[in-house]
Amino acid sequence: MLFNSYEFIFLFLPFTFFTYFYLNKKRLTEASKGFLVFASLFFYSWWNIAYLPLILVSMLFNYTIGRQLTGKEKNDKQGTRKSLLTIGVLFNLGLLGYFKYADFFLINLNSLLHTDLDLLYLALPLAISFYTFQQIAYLVDSYRNETKEYDFLNYAVFVTFFPQLIAGPIVHHAEMMPQFAKARNKIVNYHNIALGMFIFSMGLFKKVAIADSFAIWATQGFDVADKLNMIEAWATSLSYTFQLYFDFSGYTDMAIGIALLFNIKLPINFNSPYKATSIQDFWRRWHITLSRFLRDYLYIPLGGNRRGEGRTYLNLFATFLLGGIWHGAGWTFVFWGALHGLAMVINRAWQKLGYRMHTLLAWFITFNFVNIAWVFFRAKDFDDAHKVLHGMFLGPLVLPVFLTPKLGFLAGTPIVEFGQWSQIFYNESLVLAWIFAGFIIVLGFKNSMEAREKFQPNLYYLFLTVLFFLSIFILYRKSEFIYFNF
Amino acid sequence: MLAYKIYIKILFFILISLIISAIFYAYYFTKNYPLPITGRISFDAKITFIKEHIDRKKVDTIIVGSSIGLNNVQGTVLENASPKCQSVLNLSVYEATPTQIEQVLELTTVFPNLKRIIYSAQYSDFGYAGRLKDYDPAFIKAYLSDTLTLKKKISFYFHSCQNIFFCIQREWNWKDKYMQNNQFTYLGFDSTGSVPLHIYDKDIIMTRWEKPHFDKQSKQAFDALDRMSRKAKKENVDFIFVAQPYRGPLVKNFSHVQPVMQSFADQAKRIVTKNGGMFLNLHDQLHLSDNYFADRSHLNDQGSIIGTKAIGKFIDQTD
Repeated sequence: MLFNSYEFIFLFLPFTFFTYFYLNKKRLTEASKGFLVFASLFFYSWWNIAYLPLILVSMLFNYTIGRQLTGKEKNDKQGTRKSLLTIGVLFNLGLLGYFKYADFFLINLNSLLHTDLDLLYLALPLAISFYTFQQIAYLVDSYRNETKEYDFLNYAVFVTFFPQLIAGPIVHHAEMMPQFAKARNKIVNYHNIALGMFIFSMGLFKKVAIADSFAIWATQGFDVADKLNMIEAWATSLSYTFQLYFDFSGYTDMAIGIALLFNIKLPINFNSPYKATSIQDFWRRWHITLSRFLRDYLYIPLGGNRRGEGRTYLNLFATFLLGGIWHGAGWTFVFWGALHGLAMVINRAWQKLGYRMHTLLAWFITFNFVNIAWVFFRAKDFDDAHKVLHGMFLGPLVLPVFLTPKLGFLAGTPIVEFGQWSQIFYNESLVLAWIFAGFIIVLGFKNSMEAREKFQPNLYYLFLTVLFFLSIFILYRKSEFIYFNF
Repeated sequence: MLAYKIYIKILFFILISLIISAIFYAYYFTKNYPLPITGRISFDAKITFIKEHIDRKKVDTIIVGSSIGLNNVQGTVLENASPKCQSVLNLSVYEATPTQIEQVLELTTVFPNLKRIIYSAQYSDFGYAGRLKDYDPAFIKAYLSDTLTLKKKISFYFHSCQNIFFCIQREWNWKDKYMQNNQFTYLGFDSTGSVPLHIYDKDIIMTRWEKPHFDKQSKQAFDALDRMSRKAKKENVDFIFVAQPYRGPLVKNFSHVQPVMQSFADQAKRIVTKNGGMFLNLHDQLHLSDNYFADRSHLNDQGSIIGTKAIGKFIDQTD
């Protein structure tokens, strides 16, 4: 069930909302939590019920290990606790590895050893990357004695809470559990409903009206990567850059908005990432909860910046490399992660040298780096990525015929031609207009979290909510969210 | 500033009103305009047209193609020109690529007495190989043959709710854009679903008249032709491929046109005849003057009559 579907908006969400608060009103708080878990698992099973046992087993296992770790804090030997943690983390990584990376591993093994091992062709269980990370964090914090003794129902609500279950934000038990426990959150809160509706409708608009429009051109471009001229190639990569942002941040906004209806505040996940003026700045603004997880549970345990400059660079690079692998089982994702890791290393070295760069130039370099790196993120393989990049930098520059009188002298040069600037895009005149609008929106407007701060129950926000909500009348495309694949 | 409770009440009142209005509008739209179910207005309009005006069981000849099929072949003329074509349906779709035509031909099972398929095209049709998105032939077949389940019927009537803005835009444009026979978007079907163009003199768009198409040809497009002609043979339906005329001066003055036209015709002929189909090159046969063209490749009403009569004659001689 997608957030951007009629069955979710008109059936599942209202039913879950009213039942949850009805049970709370009758002081059946445990039943209301149980209902929320049931509703979330129903939501999860809507795609494929076959993966329901997997999430249940994962939850039970992690909860049991977590309890053991918490219970053993005082009396048991450190070694036992460490073993328990290792078993727990290995179980989670094993599950993720089996479902997400087994075929990738086998393909590479076959290629390396010239063997013919059969592939498993496993479908990736929805949300596995997200709930695995959340539960690893829980285990590590249990080991660090940073968790409380939650009962299973509370733990299950934390893991399965449907607004964040499928594609984040990657929530932390410490920020979620107290909210579920708080008595005031069990009463209908009109402020949260108003704000939640506003943020949800904004997310819906971002996804349905903006991301899905860019998706058409990104797909058209990547489908014929070898035929792209320079303008087409840039339009393709920029379309994907905007599609990804509006798709993922739209999803996050919807998740935050829905959670607010239940009086739960999910963490912020995006903060105008394309305004970033360095790659470090970018990762403080893009998929913030993933960055937070990687920092707290990978970079810092690796030693962070405490073991000398050389090791810091290595830790940075390793963190981003693994972040790349987390996104998908493919060398293009590995390479994308490596690119970002390398950029982070260069960025840190630059800072150490104490040089300053003009903000505009810094933004330009950062944005273009991110845009170019997304090509690897989106491409099916290196060949595809190479074709798009070739078009972007070495493809023929086809200028519109009406420019011939002024720029005709360029016609003799090897890369400039005059003609129809695009032959691949359906409705090509719209592409450039949308890309221009995309820049205006991501650079010139407040993001949804900034808008949230300003929200007031007045006619302006009423109008905006209704306007964004009109997106429900263009739900015909029924496209999934990109991050459902990760 | 409003109290939050009042704000919520007003918000929900507006949203519910909008949703109810949308449902009423969707129902009205479904009754009066082609429903957006295929992503192409000419195809949507054709589906409605077939449902309302065509006796499916009588259809023995189907014409397919892009605008080159829709505008250049007149079903009514063909019915008169060839006694073998008793009941013709023009199933062509504006801008359809061969791969899309292949999708359109998935509908042929709703025409139980089909004897022949005429594919009308020119080289420019074979430059691309896109596919129709959100196209559900099973749904359309069920709609055409009155076998939609109640659930599907309801979803059909309220399908427009999913894209209200598109419907509104379609309604606004309907009269000025799709009901003017001097425009290339005309959708005023004759009794067989063809769209003869009345584009003469001042209505001719000079850029389309003076400049030929690019020489791009798609392998996937020819592969689709191969599959279509093989499928027709398997189903015991005659497959006739017609290479339509192109403006002579463009062939003469632009060096890339003659080779690509020749290559297109040669490839199409080889594929179709290999699969037991027939090939007719109207460009070589008719040598039409500019008087019969609406632009570089579309024939006007008079040109399409001549072309269609030639097709009828060809069918009589070879069938």
